Amino acid sequence: MGDDDVANATEFDAREAKKAILDYCLGKGALAAGVADLDALERIAPPGHRPSDIMPKVKSVISLGVGGQTQGAWAVPAKAMGYFGSTETRAYTISYGAAFFIESKYQTPAIYCPPDMDNEKGPRVPLQSLKLHAEVAGIGARSLAGDILLHPEFGYMYFASIFTELDLPPDRPMAQNPCPAPSCVSMYRQIGRTPCQKFCPVQCLSGKIDEAGKQAEMHYDMAACAEISQQYEAVPALLAEAMAAEDAQGREEALFDPDNKMLWYKMSVGSGGLLAQCFECMRVCPIATKAPLADPIRRSKAKAEA
Amino acid sequence: MAQGLNRRQIGVTTAMIDSYGELIFEMSHNKQSRRGDPIRELDFDAIEATRHERGMSDGQIGEQIGLSEMQVMYIRAMMERRRFHTNHFQRLLELGGGKRFREERFTAHEERFQYHDDALALRDAMSFDPARARHYSEQGWWNNDTLSGLLARHAADRGAAAAVIQGETIISYADLLHRVDRLAGGLHGLGLGRGDVIAVQLPNVEEYVISYLAIARLGAVMTTLYMPHREREFETLLGHSRARALICLADAGGFPAAQAALNLKLPKLQRVIAIGEPVTGAVPFEDLAGTSTGADSLDLPLPVAADPMLLLYTSGTTASPKAVPHNSHTMLGNGRLGVGAHQLGPDDVIMSAPPFGHLFGLYALHMSLHNGAANLLLPSFTPPDLAAAIEAGRATALLAAPAHLAACLGLGLFDKHDCSALKIVILSGSAVPEEMARAASAKLPNCEITQLWGMTETQGGLYCRPGDGIEISATSAGRPAPGAEARIGEDGELQVRGSMLFPGYFDNPDANAAAFTHDGWFRSGDLAAQDGNGNFAITGRIKDIINRGGVKYNPREIEDLLDSHPAIAQSAIVPMPDKILGERACCFAVPTDQGGDPEISLDTLCAYLLGHGIAKTKLPEHLVLLDEMPLTPTRKIIKGRLPLPETG
Repeated sequence: MGDDDVANATEFDAREAKKAILDYCLGKGALAAGVADLDALERIAPPGHRPSDIMPKVKSVISLGVGGQTQGAWAVPAKAMGYFGSTETRAYTISYGAAFFIESKYQTPAIYCPPDMDNEKGPRVPLQSLKLHAEVAGIGARSLAGDILLHPEFGYMYFASIFTELDLPPDRPMAQNPCPAPSCVSMYRQIGRTPCQKFCPVQCLSGKIDEAGKQAEMHYDMAACAEISQQYEAVPALLAEAMAAEDAQGREEALFDPDNKMLWYKMSVGSGGLLAQCFECMRVCPIATKAPLADPIRRSKAKAEA
Repeated sequence: MAQGLNRRQIGVTTAMIDSYGELIFEMSHNKQSRRGDPIRELDFDAIEATRHERGMSDGQIGEQIGLSEMQVMYIRAMMERRRFHTNHFQRLLELGGGKRFREERFTAHEERFQYHDDALALRDAMSFDPARARHYSEQGWWNNDTLSGLLARHAADRGAAAAVIQGETIISYADLLHRVDRLAGGLHGLGLGRGDVIAVQLPNVEEYVISYLAIARLGAVMTTLYMPHREREFETLLGHSRARALICLADAGGFPAAQAALNLKLPKLQRVIAIGEPVTGAVPFEDLAGTSTGADSLDLPLPVAADPMLLLYTSGTTASPKAVPHNSHTMLGNGRLGVGAHQLGPDDVIMSAPPFGHLFGLYALHMSLHNGAANLLLPSFTPPDLAAAIEAGRATALLAAPAHLAACLGLGLFDKHDCSALKIVILSGSAVPEEMARAASAKLPNCEITQLWGMTETQGGLYCRPGDGIEISATSAGRPAPGAEARIGEDGELQVRGSMLFPGYFDNPDANAAAFTHDGWFRSGDLAAQDGNGNFAITGRIKDIINRGGVKYNPREIEDLLDSHPAIAQSAIVPMPDKILGERACCFAVPTDQGGDPEISLDTLCAYLLGHGIAKTKLPEHLVLLDEMPLTPTRKIIKGRLPLPETG
């Protein structure tokens, strides 16, 4: 990188910088990117989980989303689908690179926002809500499916964030929420449930749609959802079972039956299946699966037509 | 530990977890609600007002209810652990690839696969010698055929073909599958499932076939009650089998079967399902059969061949019952291999004169199901009904007891009815009189008259094959079935083993100890002789042997002679205790229609026997005339129930 590429602080143009950073993200494979209003985030996130709790001098939060699934993925058995996504490394790679890009180009501190859990608070509490960042940045809106963010064009995405001390002009949240889709409203009118609510394997979703076809209430039993998607929680449970077993046979079963042996396997290889997501709500979501640019096939066709 | 501190250090007690646990859990992120879309709209007032609904952080909860953040965190983590179901992940294994979760059809994984303790005890009885099991599998004698699988296959491949024929009624395989599926769903709705024993007391009617197949579809186990069984047998057999349900008639020819079963108040018997008029306390069969949710739509797991499928009783209806468990390996393998050996095909119409409550009847049904052939039903036996059904249904294969055939011959029914479609008769259930077999062969010249030797324990162990000729089939029970081996022990007893053999009596260690040789062969209790071509002839029962002062003889030949006496319809000779000789022979006889004939006396019978060359030492020494013999469903005389006279 030559000297010309290094922006002079006195000549800093926030709009141009924002464009350059977002272009960087889009150029590296993000489908959508935006800047969240830091003040809004600081007001909405609970103490301990605000951007400033990670980066005290943060001025801007940049959020980006990458494509969730290929079109083929929606048809595979759930046990295989569990390995798709979850820890979506493409999003993290782009955000990591974006942080380097910002520091290199603008000589201003930036960090890739750690996407994982808060060491202090336990495994159901993330350090930051990447979902909140993305929503406020305007690249996703909360759905009836447990607040999974959806985008009207890209459907279901994975998100990552970059924090920086650069002061960038924020975007606005989406003007409209694409969820519920018209077909979901129609189904709700008939049976009182949307597809995501109906087909959830643990029935963790419920809610209401108002007369205008907008979300009125969303209820999400996150604990039930975790039971089907977060297998790491089963590890201590089975150890407890083994300790409580009455005899050697019981201990043997608790530790070595096929299910539990699979857990040991997943642990030993660091398998993503241990953190498998359950995609059953998204599998039946018309936005996630059929949005105009929801998968590589649709995107390439759209590109060709354009 | 939380942040390196243990429970005592952060001041959390069991009482605190009990007091605040549920509240904290509900207030935390574990339960989230949202009204409207306030964040997207950046409506900060609404965001603040509904923060508690969206799931609060530990610190926020602590502030609200007066605990420290660390205490909340600890209590929340404990509650998450207590509430966590480790097995919910398994639900995912059944989804995807076009299959979605359906709450209305969903039965919890652990419930669908739950076995009751009694069911597990029965499964535990299915213990086979590992070397033999391996051998049978390697030979292909054991495979994964199940009744459900066979039915589904035929329904798919030849759904319009007749599966069951009862009079004018013809049920196709496709329809049979549908009706079985519905009934299985109905039984499931009663809480019946895999491994549960379900008893059936029905005549050979379509509901029997449907019930049996529905029980099999559930992975449950059928046990059978004979139609003559009454309260005493109900109590013993339903109790011993731990039956959880009984399917029976409301009115079994004047016997209120369903009500009788209900009156027994057996602790394990949860349901009585009645066919016919409504019975208070019983479930109408029609309601279950008409259920709207079938087993397949409930996604009930399919049974596998190793699952026990039948629990049949051989004797001891009141004391020390001998319960014979079979799985699909032993039971269906025998039928499948028998189809080829008996040269039966999918176009055959197979008929059983014995009831399905007896193994021989089930053998006929299994062969039909293996072939995709039709099973012609005979609800209850009378000689005219049998002959008429053969004619009307164009039966090509008849499985019958010798007594069934003898009765038809005796009444000249084969002259009155067109039974020309018959190509094979398989006789079993009791000794086959040679002359009767020859007479049948003469009356049905295009039909093979064959013998089959079997027991509930062994199924079809030996049989003649088509083409053997009447010289062999009238005098022997043929050769071992495919997968079976036979030998004659030192005492002349027929011993068998093979892929069709049951693993041992359920819950009867004494019987098991006596039933098997040290090297694993089953002691049949029958006496047999083998000719040079490998054919076995059954010559009697070990326990029928009469030991008269040390002179032992088999009464079989005497009984055969007496049965040919014009004034005797049936005879049986049994040992009678004697203080001097140990045993003497007692003759029981049922006179023919000329029963009052004064010529029937011990003296006249002995003279008759002497005239046929019988030694004096074998002559009966007592005569008891009876109106009728106690008979098994295959019309074999139950000698143990003959009333021995008082002796001095």
